[in-house]
Amino acid sequence: MADTILRTKDLSVSFGALRAVNQVTLDIEARKFTTILGPNGAGKTTLFNLISGLYTPNEGRIFFRDTDVTGLTPMQRVQAGMGRSFQLTNVFPKLTVHENIRLAAQSYCKVGYNIFRDHRKFQKVNEKTEEIMERVLLQHRRKSPAAELTHGEQRKLELGMVLALEPQVLLLDEPTAGMAIEEVPTMIDIMRTTYAMGTTIVLIEHKMDLVKQLSDRLVILVNGAVLADGDPAEVSRNPEVLAAYLGGGAVHGSAS
Amino acid sequence: MDKLKAIGTINIRKTAALAALLALFLIIPHYMRNAQLIMFSRVFILAVYGMSYDILRGYTGFINLGQAIFFGSGVYLGVIFLNMQNNLGSFVLALGAVILFSAAGGFLLSRIVLRTGGVVAAAMVTLAIGEIVRNIAERWRSVTGGQDGLPLRFSRVALDPLFSTRVGGYYFSLAFMLVMLLILRAFILSPTGRVLMSIRENEQRARFLGYQTNRYKTIALIVSSIAAGLSGVFFAVIARFANTDYLSIQYTLNALLITLVGGTGTLYGAIIGSFFVTWIQTFLLDLNRSFPGFTLFRYPMLFVGSFYILLVMFMPSGIMGGIYRLADWYRSWKTKRVT
Ligand SMILES: Nc1ncnc2c1ncn2[C@@H]1O[C@H](COP(=O)(O)OP(=O)(O)OP(=O)(O)O)[C@@H](O)[C@H]1O
Ligand SMILES: [Mg+2]
Repeated sequence: MADTILRTKDLSVSFGALRAVNQVTLDIEARKFTTILGPNGAGKTTLFNLISGLYTPNEGRIFFRDTDVTGLTPMQRVQAGMGRSFQLTNVFPKLTVHENIRLAAQSYCKVGYNIFRDHRKFQKVNEKTEEIMERVLLQHRRKSPAAELTHGEQRKLELGMVLALEPQVLLLDEPTAGMAIEEVPTMIDIMRTTYAMGTTIVLIEHKMDLVKQLSDRLVILVNGAVLADGDPAEVSRNPEVLAAYLGGGAVHGSAS
Repeated sequence: MDKLKAIGTINIRKTAALAALLALFLIIPHYMRNAQLIMFSRVFILAVYGMSYDILRGYTGFINLGQAIFFGSGVYLGVIFLNMQNNLGSFVLALGAVILFSAAGGFLLSRIVLRTGGVVAAAMVTLAIGEIVRNIAERWRSVTGGQDGLPLRFSRVALDPLFSTRVGGYYFSLAFMLVMLLILRAFILSPTGRVLMSIRENEQRARFLGYQTNRYKTIALIVSSIAAGLSGVFFAVIARFANTDYLSIQYTLNALLITLVGGTGTLYGAIIGSFFVTWIQTFLLDLNRSFPGFTLFRYPMLFVGSFYILLVMFMPSGIMGGIYRLADWYRSWKTKRVT
């Protein structure tokens, strides 16, 4: 228990009659790789929206490092060390790759309230920006507006922006969504490196194949509730999971 | 290497062009009539007012329909302080007073406006507040002179004898514009300025980068209000008169038009916009005077209005935006010709 970094307790939210997240209780262990798997509409993104503060839960609490963060704004949660990426690419479309990442790096370096110095003169921000562009392999695109990137590059930018915040817990919402097959290994590599550096990762995914190797733990979410939770190999053999989520042998295939 | 050299030449060329432009502005007042000197002085000062608006509309994506509160208060404070003592000391005091007033006002406005949320709601609330302030000013006759306005009392010339000729006022306004351009540019290029830009682009994402976006908007509102207030005080020196028109929605629309014509998010656009807006208003008034027979010319706003509609239709990003587009087009045309 001592090593639980993020905890949700009986977390629920409804949209009208739909209970999108239903009594979800999760303990995320520090420095572990947890993957949340579930069919379309299972409530995975909604769960992240609750954890990151975009939505307010109807019931339940969220704890980050033993502090109750349920009432905090998204900004405060980011500043506390929670970072998230978005399933639908969510960047600054007219700004360049470099500017996008620099804004994240600037937040990490906490110099946003400086109104006198030229923003290009902050050495630490510049170094961080370069480091992240290198990590997500976008140096060659530094001057391109984000809107002009390919979909795959935009996904990398999305990831780079949250990496630049150096969060303790990284919530990644389908970082490979819509990416070409050949681009996926790069993304996996980036995640693996980040994990190896000691970051706690919570990943939302669709495709079992992608994550079985990567994850320490698998959580299956169906109809807003946790159906199974545990060791990836065990969970993927769980008959209930096979029946409810994947309708038989499709566990190794792609659910998208 | 070639690319570096190319960038170098562009910079040299740009600097040379700017220096030539500056020299031109320094020389021309000696060949101008009083009416033209006054017009140019107004252009420079209103350019700063336009820039103050650009900080909000162009860089933060926020529509304030009460901007004239600060401009108008600046004009009043300018006249009131010069009426106490017509010298530089009290002019500086007026500047100090307007900075305090605008900072406090901008902060209060942000408290009210940022609560309501959306851009449209903010526009409506600021519109209402602006009208309330104007109404108060109209009733508070002992200070503002009510509808008659407030002229300079002791002398017809502000800061006599410094500006006994209009050339002095011209240089004064030009210097003010240049200094404010440098200050506001530095603000835009600061980390805070970058965050404002990100808020305009995608506020939600800025929040998820950990930026307290409402605090940044408050800073933008305060900086913008101070710039608008300062331009009001300088305007008082040129206009030598204050009335409640300067507080009205009409003057807020002037700022909006300046950024609309010149282009937003550039600061320089406000200079071009200010030229255009001031010039077209003067021109149409002259037209009306020169052809008293034409009934149509008695409604200059008819032309002004149609012109603005056409401009927004054909140059949605203003004259500066049009220039950038032309430059882009020219560059791509040149590279195509080479290859
Ligand atoms: N803001 C909202 N308002 C109304 N309904 C919503 C809202 N957000 C999500 N929902 C609904 O909640 C359910 C869960 O959606 P969610 O996006 O969390 O699913 P998901 O597991 O992320 O699915 P996917 O794999 O397609 O991304 C869906 O039925 C969705 O339509
Ligand atoms: Mg989702």
